[in-house]
Amino acid sequence: MRVTAAAGLVAIALGVLAQGALGAPKASCPAAWAKGWQALADKVAAPVYCPTWMPNPLDAHIGGQYQDIYSVGKDRSYLVSFLEHGDLGSGDVHVNFRGYPGRSTIPTCPGQVGDAKVPCFADPVGHMTANGIRATVYQVNQGADQWHVLLLWHHRGSLYTVSQHVINPYDSATRVKKNLQHLLQSLVLVEPAR
Amino acid sequence: MRLTRRGFLGGAAAAALGGGGIYELVDQLGSAPARPAVEPAGMPAEQHLLDLVTTHSEGIEVVVPPLHSAVVTARLQNVSDLRHAQQQLEDVLRRIDSRYALTPAGLGVTVAWGQPYFDTYVPAQAKSHLPHDRRAQKSVLPPTRRFPSDPKSTILETNDVAVLLRSDRLEHIDAARTEIFALPFFTVTSIRRGFAGGGFEGGQSLPKKMAVAAGVPGADLIPDGSELFLGFTSTQKAGLGPGTIANHETLGYVDLRSDYFRNGTHMHLSHINEDLEAWYLNFDFDERVLTAFRPGMTNVRQGTQTVAQGPPQVSPEAELVRQFHKTGRFGHSASIQATSRLLQDTVGEDGTHYPKGTAIPQRADFNTLDNPFAFSIDPKRDGVSKEPAAGVHFVVFNPSGDDFERNRLAMDGVLPGGKQLTVPPRNRAQGFNSVLTTTHRQNFLVPPRRHRSFPLVEL
Repeated sequence: MRVTAAAGLVAIALGVLAQGALGAPKASCPAAWAKGWQALADKVAAPVYCPTWMPNPLDAHIGGQYQDIYSVGKDRSYLVSFLEHGDLGSGDVHVNFRGYPGRSTIPTCPGQVGDAKVPCFADPVGHMTANGIRATVYQVNQGADQWHVLLLWHHRGSLYTVSQHVINPYDSATRVKKNLQHLLQSLVLVEPAR
Repeated sequence: MRLTRRGFLGGAAAAALGGGGIYELVDQLGSAPARPAVEPAGMPAEQHLLDLVTTHSEGIEVVVPPLHSAVVTARLQNVSDLRHAQQQLEDVLRRIDSRYALTPAGLGVTVAWGQPYFDTYVPAQAKSHLPHDRRAQKSVLPPTRRFPSDPKSTILETNDVAVLLRSDRLEHIDAARTEIFALPFFTVTSIRRGFAGGGFEGGQSLPKKMAVAAGVPGADLIPDGSELFLGFTSTQKAGLGPGTIANHETLGYVDLRSDYFRNGTHMHLSHINEDLEAWYLNFDFDERVLTAFRPGMTNVRQGTQTVAQGPPQVSPEAELVRQFHKTGRFGHSASIQATSRLLQDTVGEDGTHYPKGTAIPQRADFNTLDNPFAFSIDPKRDGVSKEPAAGVHFVVFNPSGDDFERNRLAMDGVLPGGKQLTVPPRNRAQGFNSVLTTTHRQNFLVPPRRHRSFPLVEL
């Protein structure tokens, strides 16, 4: 596992370097993680976003030690989450990636009171721009994204999100937003195989 | 000089209040609002009244609260001569009165007495003279109780006395506290400190600055101009009881009996923790509005902080019940308004006309970073932590304890007459309750100014 993590860190460093180098080729999904994200893109028959950076200690290795949820719906929407559950009160690090191929509107989720449905992502509080993506920051989110700050953007008619839980050790929305800015900067698009 | 236990505790309490700690930031982060410089012509008979200027926030008239507030609670100890103690305390209070104008630029001092005082020191006189609540058929000072949404851990306190100090100047509060509690018969049991206001003229409000400076969870989620941690302005003029409406005698709820306590009132004091992260990460703006005010309130512009709550916006009980059946939830203001607003035009005992929808309670609550107190004589029992926490020291004046209880029960969906809006305690359908946790409560009686010092001992 340590070897995988180390390889991931090297890949992240290389990815960031590659992004920073003027005229250098665009970063690609880290080699150790690429297989899983490519498989996801193929399965949903749509582009997916692979991160080249993750908040410590996570990696984004689908099928790896930190993968938590891997869910693909009949409508091809997906949720891939990575979680480090700290023992003895050390906190959680929890990042979710979602995609809704072919859908541009915010889905609805069961509300907390009565039968009313509520938007799954609500309370937009600003925008973040990086890596050619202009994302809206949502502060009140439902389901697996509850207690998370979430970035939402569109690409080719589809809706994508990435979110992180506000909890120790990233225990303020401000810290989580910094991580999300870094994540947004690190995303690379993985196209489905033809 | 040998340090006695009482002296030692007094010293610790003095350090807690004298060493301003995080609260000194109030002076650095907030500037005192403009206040009228004129001294009131005379001290009012009521101890709980404090002249406050108003301003406008988002087009609505709001009262500008004092920047600093503190409540010091105490027990009496070794009082061998009650009459002498009465004179000593009154002398100190008069000296303080002569030094400061009765405005936030000066100092407001309110001395309130708990049931243990009346039971222990003046039981016979209390039996004859404590006002009687006509609606509840009991004393205006009922035993302190828990409410349905209170956890079992809520501590029901038994202090003899509480002194509320309010000022824009922290040094005025500190000086008065030191002078009052240097009297030999007081053992300070707790010190509670906090702040309110700012933000009405734009920029970050004081609670936001203080919460961010203290690094409490969720601080960065508080809207910049928010008067209080939870994001809405709570001191709009129409939402606070006017003039002497909270006096025992004004609305006829109370039989004064001997008239000794005319111009007095009831005070409830509690400490409530506020879960800011849950409030701002789990409730979107629309849900925060309908939780703080009422379901069906869909026309509030995103980001609004001052939501009109005048008589035209008062939610009648029938509407509250209808909305509850329709949506499965009720709002904080709507539920309380069923009991906290006048149901019809009313003429007070002194001839003042109060229109239907007028608010009755006079709140003096303030945000705090105490966890739960700045000082406690029993830190283990009170669960004191040095880690700052977002909360409110809730202080409210009502004509009687029963009147307060009606409002607090309504907040939990228990309406007068026994009708109940059934929602599990602390459910998010139940107003603010899911993000609030009450840690301490106590009821007090606030005598008129003329009897503020050891009431009834001269009889």
